[in-house]
Amino acid sequence: MMATIDVSFLTVQVLSALRQAAFLFLISSGLTLIFGVLNILNFAHGALYMLGAYFIYALTLHLTGPAGFVVALLAAPLGVALIAAVIETGLLRRIYVQEEIYQLLLTYALVLIIDDLAKIVFGPEYKSIPKPDAISGAVTIFGGTVPVYTLLVLVLAPAIALVLWYLLYRTRTGKIVRATSSDREMADALGINMSALFTLVFAFGAILAGFGGALAGPARTVFPGVGTEVIIESFVVVVIGGLGNLWGALIGSLLIGTLETVGIIVFPEFEMSLIYLLMVAILVVRPWGLFGRPLKIKALSEKNLGMEAQEISPVHFSVNPLVRVIPVLLLLAVPLVTGRFYQYLLTQIFIASLVAVAFNLLLGTTGLLSFGQAAFYGVGAYTVGLLATKAGVSTLPALLLAPVFAAAVAALIGFFCVRLSGVHFAMLTLAFGQLVFTIAFKWYGFTGGDNGIQGIPVRPLPGGVEIGSTQAMYYFALAVVGVSVEILRRIRSSPFGSTLKAIRENTQRAAYLGVNVKLYQWAAFVIAGAFTGLAGGLYALMEKSITPDIIHWTKSGEPVFMTIIGGIYTFAGPMVGAVVFTVLNSYLVAWTEKWALVLGIILLVMVLLLPGGVVGFVNEKARAAFGKRGWVRRWTFSKSAAS
Amino acid sequence: MALLELDGVNTYYGRSHILFDVSLSVAKGEVVALLGRNGAGKSTTFRSVIGLTAPRSGEVRFKGEKVNGLRAFRICRRGIGFVPEDRRCFPDLTVRENLEVATRREKQAENPWTVDRVYALFPRLQERERNLGSQLSGGEQQMLTIARTLMTNPELLLLDEPSEGLAPLVVALLAEMILQIRKEGVTVLLAEQNLHFCAKVADRGYVIDKGSVKYEGTMKDLLADDEVKEKYLAV
Ligand SMILES: Nc1ncnc2c1ncn2[C@@H]1O[C@H](COP(=O)(O)OP(=O)(O)OP(=O)(O)O)[C@@H](O)[C@H]1O
Ligand SMILES: [Mg+2]
Repeated sequence: MMATIDVSFLTVQVLSALRQAAFLFLISSGLTLIFGVLNILNFAHGALYMLGAYFIYALTLHLTGPAGFVVALLAAPLGVALIAAVIETGLLRRIYVQEEIYQLLLTYALVLIIDDLAKIVFGPEYKSIPKPDAISGAVTIFGGTVPVYTLLVLVLAPAIALVLWYLLYRTRTGKIVRATSSDREMADALGINMSALFTLVFAFGAILAGFGGALAGPARTVFPGVGTEVIIESFVVVVIGGLGNLWGALIGSLLIGTLETVGIIVFPEFEMSLIYLLMVAILVVRPWGLFGRPLKIKALSEKNLGMEAQEISPVHFSVNPLVRVIPVLLLLAVPLVTGRFYQYLLTQIFIASLVAVAFNLLLGTTGLLSFGQAAFYGVGAYTVGLLATKAGVSTLPALLLAPVFAAAVAALIGFFCVRLSGVHFAMLTLAFGQLVFTIAFKWYGFTGGDNGIQGIPVRPLPGGVEIGSTQAMYYFALAVVGVSVEILRRIRSSPFGSTLKAIRENTQRAAYLGVNVKLYQWAAFVIAGAFTGLAGGLYALMEKSITPDIIHWTKSGEPVFMTIIGGIYTFAGPMVGAVVFTVLNSYLVAWTEKWALVLGIILLVMVLLLPGGVVGFVNEKARAAFGKRGWVRRWTFSKSAAS
Repeated sequence: MALLELDGVNTYYGRSHILFDVSLSVAKGEVVALLGRNGAGKSTTFRSVIGLTAPRSGEVRFKGEKVNGLRAFRICRRGIGFVPEDRRCFPDLTVRENLEVATRREKQAENPWTVDRVYALFPRLQERERNLGSQLSGGEQQMLTIARTLMTNPELLLLDEPSEGLAPLVVALLAEMILQIRKEGVTVLLAEQNLHFCAKVADRGYVIDKGSVKYEGTMKDLLADDEVKEKYLAV
C-alpha cells in the first residue's frame, strides 16, 4: 500500500518537474541562442514570453475548439516573432557598435515599455486561458493524477528541442549560426550577411519565447510583469549552463525544474533561494557555467555593420570648487522657503543621488555594470531597521553600521562577481541580488518577510540633536550624502580612481602594466556597496518602515537608469539623473499609472540618441560655447578640457 | 589594370593612427608579399582591404571599383578572400561544416571551388573531415582556413602570416600549396615575416614598417638589398 502511494506521488512530482523544465527550456534556449549570435543578453525575452501568453489569450477568445487552440498556439509565437523582428531592425541594430551595456539597457527599456503596454491593452488583472475540453482533463498514471495538458507539454517541448537540434546541426543556416556564435568577425569576412542573420536569430529566439508563453499560458496564468519573473529564472538557467550554449540551456532547465519541484516539497520557504544558491555553487566551481567557455569578446568593428560608433568622450574637466559650493548653499536654504513636501522629495533625491554616484563608480569609472545594487541598499536598510527595532541600537551607530554590513556582503558577492566581466558580471550580480531578496522576502522570523519592518524609531543623535522631523531629516541626509559624495568624488580623482579608469578603457593593457585588475574591481565593488548601504540606511530612517520590495532586481535598475540619463562619464551625471528620475517618479505616479512606460521611452531615447547622457551633452555644448571666452572658463572650471 | 589598389590609405583603431598613406597594387595572377616586423601594420592593411577595420581616408579599389566603405561580407562577395592570422577556423564545427558554411551559392564563378576540389588540394582535410576544428593540428587548421576561404571563390586571396608557428616541413608543404592555388588562377597577397618563405612563392614584395610602405620591388632585388633587410626586417 505504501509503495503505491510513493509511486503515484513520485510520478506526479517527476512529471511536474519535467513540465517546469520544458517551459524553462523553451524560454532559455531562445535567450541563449540570441546571446550566442548577437552577443546581447535580451532582458526583453521575458516580455516576449508574456506577449506569447497574451496573444494566445486574445486569440482563444475568438478561436474556440481544438482546431482553434492549435491555430492560436502556432499563431501566437509568430506574432511575437514579428514584433521581435521590428525591435531588432528598428532599434537594436542602431546600437550594435556601442558597448554591450547599451544593448542590455535598450532591452531593459523594452521590458518597461512592453510590460506597461500589456497593462494598457489587456488590463492589470490575471488572465487565465481556456483549454479545449480534449486537453483539459486529467489521467491517472501509476496512481497519480496528471493533467492531460502536462502530457501535451511533455510531448511538444522535446519535439521543439529536436527541431531545434535539426535546424542547428543539419541545415546550412544552422551551421552558420553555430559558426557565428564562435567567431562573428570571421563569419562576416566569409561573406555572411550579419544583419540578416541577426534579424533571423532574434526573431527565431522570440518564436521560442513566444511559444513558451503560449504553451505555459494555459497551464499558468498571465499578467503584466510575468516576464520579469520568468526572465530571472531563465537567466539563472543560461548562466548555470553557460551563456550561448544550447546544451547548457537544456541541462540548466532540467536542473532548475527539478530543484524547484523538490524545493517546494522540502523547503517551501526557501525554494527560490535554492536556485540562486545552486547557481552560486556552480559558478564558484565553473565561472563560465557548466558548458560555457570564457568569451573572447569579438566586438564588431567600426563600419562592420555599416556605421561608425558614436564616440562618447569622457569629460576630463572638473568644476571649480567655488562653483561647487553654490548648490550646497542653495540646498541649505531650501527648507526656509519650502514646505514638507519638497523637503521630503529632496531628501529622496539625496538618497537616490548617493546610490547613483556609488553605482557609477562601478559603471562609469570601472566599466562594470552591476544589476544587483538593490541588495546592498537592502542590507543597509535592514541593518538600520533590525538594529533599531530588535536591538534598540541608537540611530547614529545603526546608520554607521549600515555601510559596514553592506561592504561585508559586497566583499563576499564581489569576490565571485569580479572573476567575470561584461554581461556575465551583470548576470551574477543580478542573481546574488535576487538571492538577498528571496531571503529578506521569506525569512519571516528575522526580516519580517514580505511585511518588512514597520515603526523604525529615529532616536536623537549624540548631543540630543533630534532628526525625526522632515526638516531635520532633510539636513541630516544632506550632510551625510554631501560628505559621501565628496568622498566618492575624491576616490574617483585619486590615483586609485585613475587606475579604475585605466581598467575600464583597456582592461588588457592595465593587466599588462601589472595592475591587479580583479583586486581593483573588487575594491571598487566593495566601496560602491558600502555607500549604497549607507543610502539604504538613510532610506530606512526617512521612511521609518521598509519592505523587501526595495531589494527586488527591478530596483537595481533604478541607478542604472539615473546614470544613463545623467551621463556615465561625468561625476555629476548620476545626480542629475537622480533628480530627473525621482521627480518623474513622484509626479508621474500621481499623474499616470503608466509611468514605467514613460521611463522606458526616456531610457530608450537616451540610449539611442544621447548615450553620453544629459550632462555629457550639456558639457559638450558648454565647452563649445564658452571655450573661447577665457573668463567664463576660468571661473566655471578649475581645469579646462583636457584631451 | 591592377586587380587590387590601395591609394593613400589611413587606418585607425579608435584614436590610434596605424596606417599612414599606404599605397600598393597587386596585378592579376601575381603573388605579392607584404613584409614587415611584428606590429608593422600588415594585418591592419588586410583588415582595411576586407573592410573589418575600414580606412578613414584613402581608397581601396578592387577591379577598378572602390570597395572601402562596403561591409566585409560585401567585399568578400566581390571576390576578396581573407585568411586571418591565428587560423581562426570555427572550433565547434567539423572540417566539412567549416567548408560548407563558406560556400557561396549566389556567386557564379566559372570554375567554382567545391568541397571535393579543395580536398584534392588538401588531402589531409578529407581524412579529418569529421573532426572538429578544435581537434586539428596547427598545420591542419591553417589548411582549413585557406580551404574555407577558397570556398568563397575569391579572385584575390589575402593570406596573413600563414607560416607562423609551423614546423619547417609543413611550411615547405604550404609553399607548394600556394603555388598550386596560384596555378588555379587565384591572385595572392601574402603578409609575412618569413623572408625565405616569401622568396619561394612571391614575385614582388612590399616592406612595411610603422604603418607606412618603405620599399617596393621584385623579390630578387629585395633579397639582394641588405640595408632594407637589416633595417626593416629582422634578418
Ligand atoms: N585592435 C587594436 N586596437 C588598437 N591597436 C591595435 C589593434 N590591433 C593592432 N593594433 C596596433 O596596430 C599596430 C599594427 O598592428 P598589426 O596587427 O597590423 O601588425 P602586424 O604587422 O600584423 O604584426 P604581427 O606580425 O604581429 O601580426 C600595432 O602597433 C598594434 O599594436
Ligand atoms: Mg598581424
